[in-house]
Amino acid sequence: MFDKILIANRGEIALRVLRACKELGIPTVAVHSTADEDAMHVRLADESVCIGPPPAKDSYLNIPALLAACEITGADAVHPGYGFLAENARFAEILAEHNVQFIGPRPEHIRLMGDKIAAKRTARELGIPTVPGTDSGVGSEAEAMRLARDIGFPVMLKAAAGGGGRGMKVVRAESELANALATCRSEAKAAFGDDTVYLEKYLERPRHIEIQVLGDGKGRAIHLGERDCSLQRRHQKVWEESPSPALNAATRDQICETVARAMRDIKYLGVGTVEFLFEDGKFNFIEMNTRIQVEHPVTEMVTDIDLVVEQIRVAGGNDLSLAQSDVTFHGHAIECRINAENPVSFRASPGKIVHYHPPGGLGVRIDSAVYHNYVIPPFYDSLVGKLIVHGKTRVECLMRLKRALDEFVIDGIETTLPLFRALAQEAAIIDGDYHIHWLEEFLARGSLEQ
Amino acid sequence: MPKTPAIDHDAIRDLAKLLDETGLSEIEIERDGVSIRVARNLTAPASQAHSSDSAIAPGSMTLATPAAVPIGPSQHPGLVASPMVGTAYLGASPGARPFIEIGMQVKAGDTLIIIEAMKTMNQIPAPRSGTVTQILVEDGQPVEYGEPLMIVE
Repeated sequence: MFDKILIANRGEIALRVLRACKELGIPTVAVHSTADEDAMHVRLADESVCIGPPPAKDSYLNIPALLAACEITGADAVHPGYGFLAENARFAEILAEHNVQFIGPRPEHIRLMGDKIAAKRTARELGIPTVPGTDSGVGSEAEAMRLARDIGFPVMLKAAAGGGGRGMKVVRAESELANALATCRSEAKAAFGDDTVYLEKYLERPRHIEIQVLGDGKGRAIHLGERDCSLQRRHQKVWEESPSPALNAATRDQICETVARAMRDIKYLGVGTVEFLFEDGKFNFIEMNTRIQVEHPVTEMVTDIDLVVEQIRVAGGNDLSLAQSDVTFHGHAIECRINAENPVSFRASPGKIVHYHPPGGLGVRIDSAVYHNYVIPPFYDSLVGKLIVHGKTRVECLMRLKRALDEFVIDGIETTLPLFRALAQEAAIIDGDYHIHWLEEFLARGSLEQ
Repeated sequence: MPKTPAIDHDAIRDLAKLLDETGLSEIEIERDGVSIRVARNLTAPASQAHSSDSAIAPGSMTLATPAAVPIGPSQHPGLVASPMVGTAYLGASPGARPFIEIGMQVKAGDTLIIIEAMKTMNQIPAPRSGTVTQILVEDGQPVEYGEPLMIVE
């Protein structure tokens, strides 16, 4: 396997990767900016290298500095964590040119899934269900009507050249289509200089359900079940759980097996997540993430499989150590992402943690790199840590979560702990009856401001 | 209108973006009696609304302590720190004469040392004219970003 792994990240994920390396008996190199000299991953690594000043573009995103750090330490593999360079195909290629193994998928798969249109086309070719719709522009009003009827209302008109939420119109009924098409075309022309418009099924209240996969790059690939990440704020996941309260065994098996087969077909290497919007019993592919994800512990808790260890093993050229039949699911797990933010305004709250008391006990896991008197620097993301709780049933898991949240003390900064304490009491959450807009609607009602 | 205006995060974000695009180090705007100043760096980025005088960047409170005790090389005013991570070489090639030795006069811009990173030899120029009083690295030594290389005063 590897002689020494350089961890090209910071915070809790750097510590998470370090733990896997230690258990595999592989020496580690931590890299850090000048703002992270006192970070826990730096303290616990076998070696550390300061690679630049606080701004990420000069340190954690600085490819020459990371390569030089590999050279001076003799690291023969790099784990990118998530974020930063984790889905940068060019970084993976440069490492390969320098005979350093990138612990992740092959560059062509990173690039393929990074292009959202190519990813959707590939998904469809692999038999993964995508949002019903047209890929090319619609012509006449009559053609648009025929297509919209085929797809079924409501539909969404989207500017082909649009993006980032612009150039989109929801059409709820046949009578609205002609007007909406004309408006969308003229807006697209004005905004993007191209009046090509295409049609997609509009999903009103979908859930976000994603499938965890693991492949050895040689055509063997398995799935590790799903995670339900429907509780989101501004497209950021806040709470994740597995299994999803919305799936039955048959639906779950079918989508998981479809995804695993697709990964076998493309000979996918490493860990990955295929994300869907789920509504009315149907899955609609959104994208695939070609890295370890923030919420991976949820899957680890219900499968007892260390995803980072498996990721490192297959990157080292080993065969999968598991067959699909070796993967069994037990109990229920929930993860809460605790951020250094005001729980009502979500304003970032960096600073010094003057008192830190994490919860403990059976079925409680904390993935965090903070400690008593740690100063959260203002330069990076606001994740303080992840509280992951496991129980034999969802009810037991929720009771344990409430208990753990009440034990958790983080003083000196504002955190989103109060949000989670409120969520754990909500009827819709307890019933598992929520969708991707639920949290924003809950917050818009001012539910936390009393 | 409320008495204390809320902090306008979007405005600050826009200004910060503008700062990046223009390469400026500071922008201040005033509107309806509220002024926002966004300045960057040197030690740490700071952005604050005028009405709040609380310091928000804990990373920025360094280097400000007056030196009453003898100082190490990292606090020395003549410090030349490594601008990158890599391997330090004192001469142009193995066995070649070092660029500098203790007591030597250098002019700003003279090559002091080479840092190799990604098989590229980076010549590190003198930031100022002066005399080399200390050399803190050995030939072939790995160096981190910010590591003290020498003192030129």
